[in-house]
Amino acid sequence: MEPHRLRQRAAIVHAVRCALHAAGFLEVHPPLLVDGPALEETLEPVHADGRYLHTSPEFALKRVLAAGLPRIYSIVPCFRDEERGRHHAREFTLLELYFTNAGYLDLLPVVEDIVAAAAAAVHAPVPTFSRRTVAELFGGAIPEDDDTYFFRWVDEIEPDLTEPTFVLDYPARHAALAEVRGEIAERVEVYLGGLELGNGFSELRDPAELRARFVRSAAHRAALGRAPHPVDEGVIDASGRMPRATGIAIGLDRLVMALTGETDIARVLVPR
Amino acid sequence: MSYETSDFRNGLKIELDGDPYTIVYFQFVKPGKGTAFTRTKLKSILSGSVIERTFRSGETVGEADVEEQPMQFLYANGDIYTFMNTETFDQVELQAKLLGDDAKFLMENLEVSVLFYKGRAVNMTLPNFIETKVTWTEPAVKGNTSQGVLKMAKLECGAEIQVPIFVNEGELLKVDTREGGSYVSRLNTK
Repeated sequence: MEPHRLRQRAAIVHAVRCALHAAGFLEVHPPLLVDGPALEETLEPVHADGRYLHTSPEFALKRVLAAGLPRIYSIVPCFRDEERGRHHAREFTLLELYFTNAGYLDLLPVVEDIVAAAAAAVHAPVPTFSRRTVAELFGGAIPEDDDTYFFRWVDEIEPDLTEPTFVLDYPARHAALAEVRGEIAERVEVYLGGLELGNGFSELRDPAELRARFVRSAAHRAALGRAPHPVDEGVIDASGRMPRATGIAIGLDRLVMALTGETDIARVLVPR
Repeated sequence: MSYETSDFRNGLKIELDGDPYTIVYFQFVKPGKGTAFTRTKLKSILSGSVIERTFRSGETVGEADVEEQPMQFLYANGDIYTFMNTETFDQVELQAKLLGDDAKFLMENLEVSVLFYKGRAVNMTLPNFIETKVTWTEPAVKGNTSQGVLKMAKLECGAEIQVPIFVNEGELLKVDTREGGSYVSRLNTK
């Protein structure tokens, strides 16, 4: 904990809320204690009282989209077990936002506006983002197997993503809850200050496909000797009823780090 | 004995491809929608060179078969530095090239930590702080106690460091031996 960083954090959160309200987003408060913690097989939930603490507010916010609110966001603590380091905390804060009648490329100007407002709040230069596809970053040929893909990502590609960058168009097998177009998942990740800040999708709206992804994820987890994530019927139902939409989750702690030059997440958090 | 990536910490000594290394940097990384990795920088205990290596989370590595013993520096003869265990009187020799820049802080009777790999002395670690006299420096500027202005000083141990302008020849200093050496304070010699 660093008091100066907490002041900067408060200024950033305030500026982000103001920017979102000015852009017509409504703040909603999702439940933290949930029955379905995640879809992705690589996320480990924290167990609580026979249920789970959410790993993101995604499932809840999609139910809100399906209920008819078209521009929404949450700033909320999230929990991911087994993630600890200078860029990871088990309990961290996500800014997650959704809006309808839009796809993943429509996220980019919204994110730029939010980051610009946050930067101004701490007198940091406003970043200018460039756009790169995953295929470009791999020099044209995306590795077929995940082992090579992620090893090269961690060893070769991510260390060079030091400039503000939107990384676009991930392989379909890493779609998570994104819409797939041919071989490509309509996904974007935001990099700022060398940190992966967030991940956005054109949101999948196909209940059968979403159910199939839950089943595949459960099979992956079973193969790793991990308990499968329960199929979340609420999000499957919502995915069939919500309008075309896009959404992104941005790590607020990392946004503060990126804009203040902080290298250790612990200094932007209040310790337990 | 083996370590998982979650056991990694700075200073941990591991065996990799048949050679011993000290972890000098580690970072948990988890690419979006991907599995977790630990990025590391490893310093070779035998050569002193630093390599980068990425491990999958949960991967295990062996413990390096190393042991540390407090020993006293006796003398240097050319490129050979001799140390002694003051309890057993065992003596070991280390080559200057293994000691690198640390050699300039070695003074007779200085207690250091000698590292043994598979029973063989391979390196040594200096204490973080040593006490040593100034053998040469420009005359002190009287009355100037500002910390900002520095000048060169030669030390009895053989090192040269930057010291504040008020330091005199013959004074005993406390010196930090890490990162090339730096002035900490004057010690009262009266």
